[in-house]
Amino acid sequence: MNNNNTDGKNVLGYMADWITLPRFFFATGMTFFVTSVLFPFYWMITTSFKAPTEIASRRPTYFPNSFSLQGYRELFDPSHPDFWNFGRSLFNSFRVAVPTALLAVAIALLGAYAIARLRFRGKDLFLHGVLLVYMFPTVMLMIPLFAMLSNIGRVLGFGIQDNLFILIVTYLAQTLPVALYMLTNYFKSIPSEIEQAGLVDGCSRLGVIWRITIPLSIPALISVAIYTFMIAWNEFLYAFVFLNNTEAFTVPIMINAIQEDPSPRPHVIMAASTITSIPVMVLFLSLQKFLKRGLTAGSVKQ
Amino acid sequence: MKYRNSLRAKETRLGIGLLSPTALIVFGLVIFPAFFAIWMSFHHVTLSNLNNVFGAEFVGLENYYKVINDYAFKFKTWNSMGAALTSIVYSVASTTVTVFLGLIAALLLNRKFKWRGIFRAAFLFPYVAPIISVAFVWRWMLSPRMSGIVNDVLLRMGAISEPLSFLSTRGLALLIVITFTAWRYFPFAMLMILSRLQAIDETLYESAAVDGANRWQKFRFITLPQLRLVIGAVFMLRLIWTFNKFENIFLLTGGGYGTGVLPILTYQFSFESYNFGKGAATAMILFGILLVFLALYWGLFVRRGVDV
Repeated sequence: MNNNNTDGKNVLGYMADWITLPRFFFATGMTFFVTSVLFPFYWMITTSFKAPTEIASRRPTYFPNSFSLQGYRELFDPSHPDFWNFGRSLFNSFRVAVPTALLAVAIALLGAYAIARLRFRGKDLFLHGVLLVYMFPTVMLMIPLFAMLSNIGRVLGFGIQDNLFILIVTYLAQTLPVALYMLTNYFKSIPSEIEQAGLVDGCSRLGVIWRITIPLSIPALISVAIYTFMIAWNEFLYAFVFLNNTEAFTVPIMINAIQEDPSPRPHVIMAASTITSIPVMVLFLSLQKFLKRGLTAGSVKQ
Repeated sequence: MKYRNSLRAKETRLGIGLLSPTALIVFGLVIFPAFFAIWMSFHHVTLSNLNNVFGAEFVGLENYYKVINDYAFKFKTWNSMGAALTSIVYSVASTTVTVFLGLIAALLLNRKFKWRGIFRAAFLFPYVAPIISVAFVWRWMLSPRMSGIVNDVLLRMGAISEPLSFLSTRGLALLIVITFTAWRYFPFAMLMILSRLQAIDETLYESAAVDGANRWQKFRFITLPQLRLVIGAVFMLRLIWTFNKFENIFLLTGGGYGTGVLPILTYQFSFESYNFGKGAATAMILFGILLVFLALYWGLFVRRGVDV
């Protein structure tokens, strides 16, 4: 800092010159938001690596003074006495979220193509009507769904409890409207001339969708798939009602079960929370740009 | 007959065909259940006759009477407002704070500075992280023991003399769930407001500068009017979604200590005491209040000629 003193000013002097009222407000505001947004995540990650003894101490340690994988071992190490078999829950969550994402994209792709490219009456009404779905409270739909599905299940001979397929179907209903909306907007934004050329060359409509539209929209399709994956991955209420058996638990329900364990184990819960957050955060950051557009265009529910 | 085979008719048939899978799922799993919920709210449905739900006994308004007379629904004191009023207070307060924080964050990020993209991405974290993770981190930070970090900070600052039980103290618990909800959803408001901010015509500011307007005047007479619509829309959307939300409160307080909102009550009637008819009636009351919100929105924004 010495070379700053050549004209007789010290650091404080420079700071005083730099600070204007707007800059002061800006710095204060940013500090407030950065701390309140990031601190919980800092606390989650550091707690997950603290030793149980450090967590049990009288006062919290802002900078961890131990490094322990105890929490992660309880989640994943079968030889640990309090093994939670968290890997199985992760697998269950993937088994629900991946099919949900793929089916939502496949089904919404056809519908969105119809709305964006074909002329028929009532399509705009349908597009907007379908978004009304997001005005209905999930708890309200939960009750009749539970009653309906248990009746259908009785007649057709399948159980609705611990049935991951039931979860996939209900998540589809939650994600299709927004997938339809995002893809329709995307198709409307790409020119239809190439498709028309395909039609003239004798392709059928479905052939055009398969050979021209899908290859042209890969980025949009991936983004919508990731978005629906995130919704299914994070979902709590349906899974909480439909899953009773630990073996079928998805990640959020498993973490809730660990939380309800009589002996408190914050390091395990924070380790599980960290692991759960990683896939969605990574996916989200990789697609930030497109999702931002999709989010603002589609007024996405979460 | 000629029309049936025309190009137009073919296109209509194909369009309906392509839309039908979406329509089938949405109608089967959303629209029909919504009507079925109305039906259930007038019938006696419990776990014992769930397997024969269509034969359930018609009970008229009995479920509604039961819900309204339930202790959890009734207003007693301001610390125990009953589910309906708690819901309204919770959702209006948290949405107001959500939109306010979103506006401030959007104004901050609208300036050009280094690493703006990184900051914008980081600000979205609360919104994209799984609800289970963030709710439990908050619970851990708000731990009632001295090792809870919020208690520790407040103790060190001398703001409190002994640790508080944030999530199991009436009043305080409601304040916390409101804060949590605002923290989780402000990024949504921020995104919507930011994209509107970036679409404001620069020449408006330039001509205002020529007229000698200061910063505050520019904000007051250019920015704010331009944002009015998006703020109104975000407020309504968030209000509806917050009003319907179950997990946020359930995972933080379990619905106790003055935070029992209507979705929680709906859940408890249906899946804890297995009285599905009563649960459906609660959901209908919830939905009724929601419609009042929508009507208010209509009256305040749409009818007064604000272009929505």
